[in-house]
Amino acid sequence: MKTIILSILIIGLISCSESESATAKKQCCSAPKKQAAAAAAIDTSQSLYSIDASFTNQNNQTLQLRSFSGKPVVMGMIFTHCGYACPKLTADIQSIEKQLGEHKNDVHYLLVSFDVERDDPKQLRAFAKTYGLDENFSLLHGDEDAVRMLSVLLNVQYEKDADGNFSHSNLVSVLDEYGNLVFRKEGLGADHSETVKAIEALLHRKA
Amino acid sequence: MAAWCLVLCLSFSVAAQSGKMVKVKGGEYLSFFKKENNKPVNVKPFYLGETAVTNAEFREFVKQNPSWRKSKVNRLYADSNYLKHWSADLSFSSSLAQSPVVNVSWFAAAAYCKWAGARLPSVAEWELAAAGKPQHIPFPSLTDYVLNWYKRPNPKQLPPVKSAYKNEYGLYDMHGLIWEWTFDFNSFISKGDSRGNADDELKAFCAAGALDVNDKNDYAGYLRFSYRGSLKGNFCIENLGFRCAKNL
Repeated sequence: MKTIILSILIIGLISCSESESATAKKQCCSAPKKQAAAAAAIDTSQSLYSIDASFTNQNNQTLQLRSFSGKPVVMGMIFTHCGYACPKLTADIQSIEKQLGEHKNDVHYLLVSFDVERDDPKQLRAFAKTYGLDENFSLLHGDEDAVRMLSVLLNVQYEKDADGNFSHSNLVSVLDEYGNLVFRKEGLGADHSETVKAIEALLHRKA
Repeated sequence: MAAWCLVLCLSFSVAAQSGKMVKVKGGEYLSFFKKENNKPVNVKPFYLGETAVTNAEFREFVKQNPSWRKSKVNRLYADSNYLKHWSADLSFSSSLAQSPVVNVSWFAAAAYCKWAGARLPSVAEWELAAAGKPQHIPFPSLTDYVLNWYKRPNPKQLPPVKSAYKNEYGLYDMHGLIWEWTFDFNSFISKGDSRGNADDELKAFCAAGALDVNDKNDYAGYLRFSYRGSLKGNFCIENLGFRCAKNL
């Protein structure tokens, strides 16, 4: 009897979380509507730029997320000691930059590190050099609270393992020029044509 | 003399805000889900709130931090159920004063603990503390107690803190009253392989799940981890509250 009740509970929990994530997708992942009249009517009440947490970039400059306002942002969370997934996610974001062609400089590209201990600005600078990231990229280091808060806002899961490395989900997020989360795509080596479309829609809205 | 008083008085008032804290001995915490290396995480000794934060305590925080009033709170940080059991920005039924505050988001819980000079406990800390031996429970084991609680519906009115049971560390109601937020509730919950995609989350809870957990008999742990996995930071739920932790 107990097992039955528990199974029901478990099914309930799973179906809840599935339908929840489906709703979340509907809310956040559709390209912005009504492009023409949008600029005046954009709701910024849930902008990520309300967070005050400070980060340091690869050039040792202290900044807040809102320092990136004014252009759309493509963002991923990584750590540089990561063997496979993070270089791949970085390459995914580089390929998004490439696909944007002549518009590539109209977008900020952010990589935020999970590894608050090892990924200092110097290490991030070395990573940027190794992977040939251009000056459109900002690699951010923050304290544990700042990084965890950002992960919760973006709905990125991560956990530090006993060996100091991180298990994490792989997610590319797009913010509009006001810091609203408008698009997210999970996975590595994913087809990012929708991501590129979402960014282009933002750029056209602005023009 | 003034400086001496400043330090002492300040630490006294912080202690008052975060409530009484008790020391929890550290130890090895083996993640609920099996990892590739499957090494336990070492948890250092820490302080944890003797009870969950109450409505009365949370009202003090809201009083001093108006941006956390339910009429003002940013929806990014708390959904529309935030403090829905309060009748207004600073009021609730007096019978709820000593009950744990619920309908609070992760952001609100983290902000409260920061204000109180503390922080939210990690999953590892919380699980270690919650595994503490219970005193005087009418069940053969803690697992039986917890499962019995999980299967009962939420009471119409939440009882006050200290109404469930006390454990070996002196912590009250780690189970039996509410579910509690943890700092890293959004930890990755599948195998320790960063190649994993979102699908791994589903795999962990569907067919492959049973193969990937460290203790297949830990139904209670299974429920707790699926509950945490279904949360988002701005969710406010009627049986979800929190307590704060602190480094030694």
